[in-house]
Order: sequence, then structure tokens, then C-alpha cells
Amino acid sequence: MNVDPVGFLPPLTEVAGLQAADAGNNVGTSDFASWLAKEIGSVNDKITGSDQLLQKLATGQVDNLHQVMIALDEAKMSFQMLVQVRNKLLEAYQDVIRMSV
Amino acid sequence: MDYFSAFAISASGMSVEKMRLDVTALNLANVHSTRGASGQLYQPLTVISTAKPGAFAAAMTQAGNASLGAQVTEVRATLTPPRLTYEPSHPDADAKGFVAYPAINPVNEMITMMTATRAYEANVAALNAARVMAMKALDIGGN
Repeated sequence: MNVDPVGFLPPLTEVAGLQAADAGNNVGTSDFASWLAKEIGSVNDKITGSDQLLQKLATGQVDNLHQVMIALDEAKMSFQMLVQVRNKLLEAYQDVIRMSV
Repeated sequence: MDYFSAFAISASGMSVEKMRLDVTALNLANVHSTRGASGQLYQPLTVISTAKPGAFAAAMTQAGNASLGAQVTEVRATLTPPRLTYEPSHPDADAKGFVAYPAINPVNEMITMMTATRAYEANVAALNAARVMAMKALDIGGN
């Protein structure tokens, strides 16, 4: 039986990319770290956006109730997706940590 | 996420139905108005809605339906002749003592209101279905 080597995993030098993503957004958009940072940013944007909408609703500046509810739901779903991504990442990490060499 | 386009489509439908309900309420409120805002007789209004063209085109053009939801294109007056009632003491009565009331049929307005409410509910149902699908998708690989 022919087993493929684990070629799709990035080499460990990608940690440098993670730190670079922390420093700024000038990293190539193809690596996972910058993608994750971008996604977290967009989820954060959605949550703060829905927060502002809620505030506007409370002060009577929004008359479109369904837009507010949909924005809240979008924020909730984005956050759920982020949590799932984090769960999968942590799972994979723990699998690697428990690996006996 | 891809599911947000379904949300946007349902939201546009909800906006249209909300508009329809607003206009119906306006008509019902003006059943006994002899003068509109311009001083003329109030004209019963109706909402004209069409499919909204959008950037969704690539996926939907194959089905010949490049649309990203619905939109209100026009709120137009239905040009129906007024209902004349004999009330000589009314300040807006004409020389023969007839007062012109807008030709608003409460039964029609109630039916428009009910269909708008049901259509709104249907949009909410579609949105909830999209939400359930997305949540189920997030369950993939769980446990």
C-alpha cells in the first residue's frame, strides 16, 4: 500500500508568519495565520457592528427591526464558526502534543 | 459566509413586505380623509415591487434569474374615482352637497395586509432555514 507523506502541512518556519501577522497585515494573504487574523477581525467587526445597531435601535434611530435581528444573527453565526475553527485547531494541536515519538 | 447572501435576499423580501404593510396602514388610516397632504383628495396607494438585480448574477444567470432579492420600485396612486357621499354640511362638500372620499376598500386592504404578513412570515421561515443549515454545517465533525 502506498502512503503519501504529510506534504500539505506547512513547515515549522510558519511560526514566523504568525508573529508577522501579529505585527501587521503586510504578510502574504495565502498563509493560514493571516487568514485567521483577518477572519477574527471580521467577526469582531460584525459583533461591534451589531452592538452599534442595537444601540441605535434602543435610541430609536433604526426603524427596521429585522435588519437588527439579522445583523445579530450574523454576528452569532460568525462567532460560532470562529469557535468551531478554534475547537478544531486545539484538537489538532492536542493530537500532535499527545503523539509519542 | 455564503449563507449571508440568503440572509440578504430574505431581508430584502421582508423590507418589501414591511413597505406594503406601511402603505396599507396609510390607506386604512385615510379612509375618511377628504383632503391629502397636497390639498387634493387622498389617492389610495399601492406598492409595486420587482426583483432586484445584483452581483449574485454568476450563480443565478444560468437559471435566467439574475437577482439578489426584491425591491420596491414604486409606490403609486391607484387612480380610482372617489366615493361620493351627500353631506351638505361638510366643509369640503361641492356645490351639490357631495363630499368626495377616497375609494379605499377596507376588505381589499385587509387582504393585502394579510398577504403581506404571510409573505413576511415566509421570508422569516426561509431565513431560519438558512440559519439552521449553517448551524448544522458547523456541527460537521463534532463529537
